[in-house]
Amino acid sequence: MKSKKHKVLLAPLDPVHDIGLKMIKRALDEKGHHTILLPPDLPPEEILNKIHENKVDTVLISRTLGYGVAEILGKFIDLIDASGLRDTIKIALGGMAVTPELATELGFDAGFGPGTEVEEAVAFVEGREYKPDIGKFVKNKKDITQRYSYKYTDKEIENLLDKITSQILEWSNNKTSPGVKRAELREEMLKTSNPKELAKLRNEYKELCDDVVKNFYENGKLHSRTRKLTKEELESLENYVAKIKARMKPNGLQHIDKNPLVFIQYGTGCPFMDIAHIKLCEAWGTDGVVHFDPSWGARTEGFFEGYITHEEDGSVITPENLLRIKKSINENVLWQVRAHRGLNTPETVVLAGNSGADLTKINIAYGSLGGGTDPERLTVDAISAIKYAAKYNMPFDVVTNEELSGVPAYKAFSGMLIVSHLALKLGGKPILQPLFCYSPEVMINGNMENNYIDFNAAKIFVLRKIIDAPIWPGAPIGFLTHTEERVQSSITTALHAGLASSLGVDAISIASSDEAFSGGPIAGASRIDTLKATKEVFRFLGNAKITPTKKAEEWAQILQENIKKILTKVAQHGNFVSALYEGLLGSREEGAYPGRAGRNTVTSKHSY
Amino acid sequence: MSAVYKHVLDAVDIETFLICEDEDEGKGLIIKMLEDMGFNDINVVFIEHNGPGARIRARGYVHKSGDKYGWLNTRRDG
Repeated sequence: MKSKKHKVLLAPLDPVHDIGLKMIKRALDEKGHHTILLPPDLPPEEILNKIHENKVDTVLISRTLGYGVAEILGKFIDLIDASGLRDTIKIALGGMAVTPELATELGFDAGFGPGTEVEEAVAFVEGREYKPDIGKFVKNKKDITQRYSYKYTDKEIENLLDKITSQILEWSNNKTSPGVKRAELREEMLKTSNPKELAKLRNEYKELCDDVVKNFYENGKLHSRTRKLTKEELESLENYVAKIKARMKPNGLQHIDKNPLVFIQYGTGCPFMDIAHIKLCEAWGTDGVVHFDPSWGARTEGFFEGYITHEEDGSVITPENLLRIKKSINENVLWQVRAHRGLNTPETVVLAGNSGADLTKINIAYGSLGGGTDPERLTVDAISAIKYAAKYNMPFDVVTNEELSGVPAYKAFSGMLIVSHLALKLGGKPILQPLFCYSPEVMINGNMENNYIDFNAAKIFVLRKIIDAPIWPGAPIGFLTHTEERVQSSITTALHAGLASSLGVDAISIASSDEAFSGGPIAGASRIDTLKATKEVFRFLGNAKITPTKKAEEWAQILQENIKKILTKVAQHGNFVSALYEGLLGSREEGAYPGRAGRNTVTSKHSY
Repeated sequence: MSAVYKHVLDAVDIETFLICEDEDEGKGLIIKMLEDMGFNDINVVFIEHNGPGARIRARGYVHKSGDKYGWLNTRRDG
């Protein structure tokens, strides 16, 4: 059936502003309606004459300026009433100074305030109910690894990585650790519903834990600065999340499909506060959230159980805490539980997988050179963790945060590529995570004296020259360029996001605007600052790009050559773990110190 | 502290420009201002003094991790 075509008069009852009406006119014209747009600032009497002359059935009035609104518009409606037209035409009012309530009060049929979609006005003209284009805002979980082949362009590097990873797998064969064993037990514990079996497994588990955790299982005592959440608190949380979910209308951050996914890291210490931060970030458009555990958790053998809150940064990993958080997350938002360091790496992946996480985070080089875990222990644990990540179908990023300690990018990248190749051999789906940062290396060498663009771009260029793999700069982008000043901090995040988008990467992790403030916890409102700033830069750039100078290509070339040199040395050395201890992937002079946590805990599988 | 603060997710930030001699005076003034508003846990997140005074952002925490959160309507609210 052919829809009715309307005759619409659009009149700006305003000295200058008629942009909104022009946009609506265009939409109405496209749909075949007959439109008449009057010039701005005609007196109400003249507008009335035009209505008569043109025999329109709909009138759209706009008014942007706030002063005298009620008086002018009231007069206009009085004139319409007096002319006898009121029952034969529909009249709507729109503009910056308008609210639906004001419009109704003044006698208009509808009112359109700031933020109105053009389609709303079109629906009014056509006499149909406005249905927001919710598809525009519905997030779909993306698998950012899907479109990558993981094929190497640089065959020399591929061969070196093959050699190194074969050495690692051969070395690790028949080795195990308390962390590996606990992960196996945890998997069994999660599978069983038999209380006797569970008690037996838990008994075995606690014997593999540090005293502080063992004490929990034996006497119910918790780590200092933690407490159990009460039943009342848990009930209140359920109600809170249900209420929030009911009124949630998440925004989207991306302006074009090519804009990267945006992740935030939470880890307030308390699962409740985490959930509160997650929900506000979801509302303001985040695509993913990253679980951040406390630093002591990484140095402690074993996990607690139950709903536990913590007074400091980092939220305690327990099966219950993770499940509670997962339950609160919007189903279209990606959830990453990081396992890149520490003595519970494989078990973290098991818990993440069983809790429904989409992604995890694993890197031996960072975890043992910048994260405090013994290289031998973390190598054994990470192999197990990678296998679990593959089993639970969780891609994982391979972070290079050792750069922040002073390790040069080419060494950090060598470590990242080794772990990524190891992952590929073990059936995993690695995501490369170069840092977009003002690192000690670039401070010393002056690579960012002119701009923050070229060296970061060089990192992306070199990875693309080596392998076809997903890239997720982090974490967070712009690390060490943030200050405690809110505007500067938001802008630097946004600009790095713009660079990331220009370079066509798959995802980014962003900081809050108070990330550099060390005096207290991150405030939720500060997260909105950078989410909005990131959205704005995506809108600003669209398909346009930030163009690096030729330096970026030059540095990419140098990085590639240096990566080859490092990989050659590691391959010739013959033992990856020993190479980590000896500084081939980051030396003490550069600020990398092989971790001590878990030293001498690796044993032969037969000893268990 | 007024019951309305129960609705604060975590902290109240006050951003303003204070006419003052230097950063120290600015810090003292903003801390006093937040104390007068009833905050106990006060931090100066950012201060930059130049010419007439200081651009300043101060924060009063209402709820920190591990607290009882007023916005949850728990029986033992904080």
